[in-house]
Amino acid sequence: MVVLETVINATWEHIVLVYTTLFVSIIVSIPLAFGAVYSKKLEFVIMKFANLVQAVPSFAVVAIMVPFLGIGFTPAVVAIMLRALLPIIKNTYIGLSNIDPALIDYAEGVGLSQWQIHRYIRLPNAYPAMFAGIKFAGILANSIAVLTAFIGSGGLGEIIFQGLIGYNTSTLLAGAIPAIMLAILIDTTFTILEKKVTPGHSSE
Amino acid sequence: MQTERLFDRIDSIQLKGITKKYGEGFAVKDLDLEVIGGELLILIGPSGSGKTTTLRMINRMIEQDEGSVTINGIDTKNVDPVRLRRNIGYVIQNIGLFPHMTIGENIGLVPKLEGWNKKEIEERVKTLLEFVSLPPDMFMNRYPKQLSGGQQQRVGLARAMAMDPPLFLMDEPFGALDPILRKQLQKEFLKIKNEINRTIVFVTHDIEEALVLGDRIAIMDQGELVQVGPPEELIFNPANELVADIVDNQRKFKHMDTLKVKDLMSPFEDKYVLQAKTEACDAVDEMTKRDLETAFVFDEDALLGQVEIVDLMKCRHREEKLSELAKPIKTFQPMDSVAFALSEMKNSGEYLAIVMNSKHPVGILVSDEVLLKLI
Amino acid sequence: MLSIQAIANVWERNLMTMRTIEHLHMFSIALLLSIIIGVSVGIFIYMKPKTANPVLNFLNIVETIPDLALIVLLLPILKLGAGPTIAACVLYSILPIARNTYTGLKNVDEQYTYVAQAIGLSPREALLKVRIPMSLPLIAGGIRIALVFCMGVVTLGGLVAAGGLGTVLQNGIQLYQKDAILVAGLWTGLLAVLLDGFAGLIEKKLHERYGTW
Repeated sequence: MVVLETVINATWEHIVLVYTTLFVSIIVSIPLAFGAVYSKKLEFVIMKFANLVQAVPSFAVVAIMVPFLGIGFTPAVVAIMLRALLPIIKNTYIGLSNIDPALIDYAEGVGLSQWQIHRYIRLPNAYPAMFAGIKFAGILANSIAVLTAFIGSGGLGEIIFQGLIGYNTSTLLAGAIPAIMLAILIDTTFTILEKKVTPGHSSE
Repeated sequence: MQTERLFDRIDSIQLKGITKKYGEGFAVKDLDLEVIGGELLILIGPSGSGKTTTLRMINRMIEQDEGSVTINGIDTKNVDPVRLRRNIGYVIQNIGLFPHMTIGENIGLVPKLEGWNKKEIEERVKTLLEFVSLPPDMFMNRYPKQLSGGQQQRVGLARAMAMDPPLFLMDEPFGALDPILRKQLQKEFLKIKNEINRTIVFVTHDIEEALVLGDRIAIMDQGELVQVGPPEELIFNPANELVADIVDNQRKFKHMDTLKVKDLMSPFEDKYVLQAKTEACDAVDEMTKRDLETAFVFDEDALLGQVEIVDLMKCRHREEKLSELAKPIKTFQPMDSVAFALSEMKNSGEYLAIVMNSKHPVGILVSDEVLLKLI
Repeated sequence: MLSIQAIANVWERNLMTMRTIEHLHMFSIALLLSIIIGVSVGIFIYMKPKTANPVLNFLNIVETIPDLALIVLLLPILKLGAGPTIAACVLYSILPIARNTYTGLKNVDEQYTYVAQAIGLSPREALLKVRIPMSLPLIAGGIRIALVFCMGVVTLGGLVAAGGLGTVLQNGIQLYQKDAILVAGLWTGLLAVLLDGFAGLIEKKLHERYGTW
């Protein structure tokens, strides 16, 4: 039987792992997405790489960290980032580039600087797609964070692996159920955020 | 699903007291109309007159709110719509060939659903393609997007004929085609119509087409039937202003004496030109690509004559050059009078002529288009 | 870094030929089941439009569940072995396939369904001869997403005694054998990328064949 305290600690570790990764991913993604708007080369590389990495099983990505970075928190963050970065970059890029050129012309016409155009026109226009990407990345991160427990990241996966060793159903559930609840939490919060930033509150 | 044949020939179609409401208004209001077996009845009228709605109530694509449609005394309400429609050929303006099926599969679809065997279907498809002047070997296995607009329309007609229906409904079948192509297909359609001798209800907004094709013409306005009768009756005894407006031929010829060919010709385009040394097979592909039914053959700069794709496809397997196949075509000068040009064309039964400025082609004269421009 | 000989040794020692066969075996069963169930669900919610939203919403929730957690939830029901892994694959894959099937069927250009009806196709025939074939490119797109999901989940199977290449990864990590992890990890990734690329080719062909122009 698992103690409640263990579950709470593991959940906390899980949250830290997921949100650290997500946060770093966002910070790294946005400049790259802006870069892709300007450089066709960068766009090509990112899109190709994104589609390629999406096909690779998460467990393979997690495992391949070990020979290079060993085990622990850092290789876990890198592994999750490898999967979580790309949906954010891809969606942000799509959001940034799917803008009516007439709108940009108009903005230049009324005398907005390049920075102002990015800040007040391109970025807000990209929010809905961006948040959809972040939501997807969050769910992915939450899912892979369960797995990274296998390479020593801690978190709810650790309880699941304990359960697997002794094949103890209640231990398994004590790890799985909070992980599922966290996933649904991420899904709902980001859905709400997504709606908030979408003009007219329409989803999709 | 296999369906039993409903009727082998049409004696009469009776539309009685047909009403179709459209929101608050009427699409069709208390319409009485008879289609006589064997005739081609034209439905014509301004847009919103209810002609298409009327057509679609015959095969129950639209159900009337009041009144009845009976075919040979059978109320269509009592017939399964699927079975009814398989006894009626249907052709529409945008054709709607299924893009995922070959031409052969498109035409053979309903026969296949009716449980015909492979050989029967193939034979039927071949017969029908021959009938609409498309060599089966060349077209059966192509996909619709590989065909020109005119060729697709022919396939649409062939598909409608698949089950040899005694009745055809046609909703502006030539409406989307350019004038030259339209004229050509109308001409062929007349030939087909006389050969198959079926009952046809035909919707159009083109009075020329109506006068050329129709045995009788029904003029509709705001959901009501204004007048129905043979073309000459409408011309000589129009029921009201609208009919007179639609069919009045008098005004067309008012300015004929003063008009010159150059005023009414269509501009000549390079896409109509084929070189004399081109082989017939290559010409067919080229014309398909350019969506042409007719092209003009030049030897360098000298005009040799015209070729029609239908004729070229017949000699597909011989290595003939266009110089041997070109048929003579009338030429006019830009300053010739239109009256002169039209009467010349009428005498030789041609609908197409080329306008030459000394040695260079500058325009095309299409007899029907000229008439339309005069209205 | 690793010589051919070393790779061959790792391959031999870890029975990777057998593991690959296990891997693909589980994968094929899972994908086949997913296609059958996914397409059926898609057609069902197309025919009963009222069920579409609840069904798709439910499947969306399933989609957010961490894959390993889903397998673990299925363990008590289906016991150790390939069962829970295959079941989890299918549960994940129903959504993309069903959603794409549904969207495809619903969005067939009206002119074609109109003509189908007008030339006398019954609703069932119109579905089979026109709507489904014309939706194939989209359905294939959904299957391709499902394929990627299944590859991912099947690899996890190694953690719950289902066999497959995941088993090699699991042993490699537990025994800290870097060469085994590298060989198995790259091979698993390559296999997934190749299959995805192959599916992409099929999808493109279907677009050419069945796509409207």
